[in-house]
Amino acid sequence: MSSLPNIERLYDDHASALFPFLLNVLRNEADTYDVMQEVFAKLARRSGLLDGVRDERGFLLRLAHNAAIDLMRRQGTRARNYEQLAAEPAALFAGSGDPDEQVFREKLAEALGELPPDQRAIVHLKLWEKLTFQAIAEALEIPPNTAASRYRYARDKLRERLRPIYDEIK
Amino acid sequence: MNSDFEKRLQEQPMREVPGEWRARILAASPAASSTSVWWRQWLWPCPQAWAGLGAAWLLILGMNLAAGDGPAHPATATVAFSRQELADLRQQQAMLAEIIFPVETAEPPKLNPSPRSEMRRTEVVV
Repeated sequence: MSSLPNIERLYDDHASALFPFLLNVLRNEADTYDVMQEVFAKLARRSGLLDGVRDERGFLLRLAHNAAIDLMRRQGTRARNYEQLAAEPAALFAGSGDPDEQVFREKLAEALGELPPDQRAIVHLKLWEKLTFQAIAEALEIPPNTAASRYRYARDKLRERLRPIYDEIK
Repeated sequence: MNSDFEKRLQEQPMREVPGEWRARILAASPAASSTSVWWRQWLWPCPQAWAGLGAAWLLILGMNLAAGDGPAHPATATVAFSRQELADLRQQQAMLAEIIFPVETAEPPKLNPSPRSEMRRTEVVV
């Protein structure tokens, strides 16, 4: 007899990945909380949702991404995100005692915020979740080639945007 | 192959999820209360079998409703039957009445031989 999905165990295993991913995509802590709550409530309501799922983390990232997209559509924040990000770095990264590092993280958060949400999601999954393009494609429900090309485009934009400070502290 | 730039980005630690969120999010999840899922635990050993059983019952019920005019609505069927048979019954009653009391219906034309004979006689006489 298999057991019911343990929501607490799912939270402990995956919340640490879902939180920064959603915060990076949504750029708003309250929205991030809402989407995380929605995801875990959905998992709790539909106990068979994870049946047959091989990559639990990837599946949860996909659920979270879909919920985030739905929220942005409902709120009409997709357009707002572009404009608001520079003013709302959303404390994406942990603080650093090194002033240079702290400045770099703040600039990186701003630069990420200037990317469209879909590119931001891909960059996040590639760099901080270390997913393959195939896994990113499955999580975001896009072709792998699209994931790869969007990633390269976003990475080049970040490099260009951060070049001055990156060269300075390198 | 990651470039130095990409490695540099990867080294930047993301913020951790706020600690107080755990209790709030789990408290808001329906499965956090065990009483709400007792029926799921009961069905959990083989949900497909229960679903199949339910589907079979629905199929049987559907077929029963589709095919069974009489058994499904006996009162209606009785009313329809009696209405349909009512005319036949009346016809049969009329036929029975003719058979049982043939004289009453046939008498008037056949019960006047004597006047006719009398009339003939009168005619003959005349």
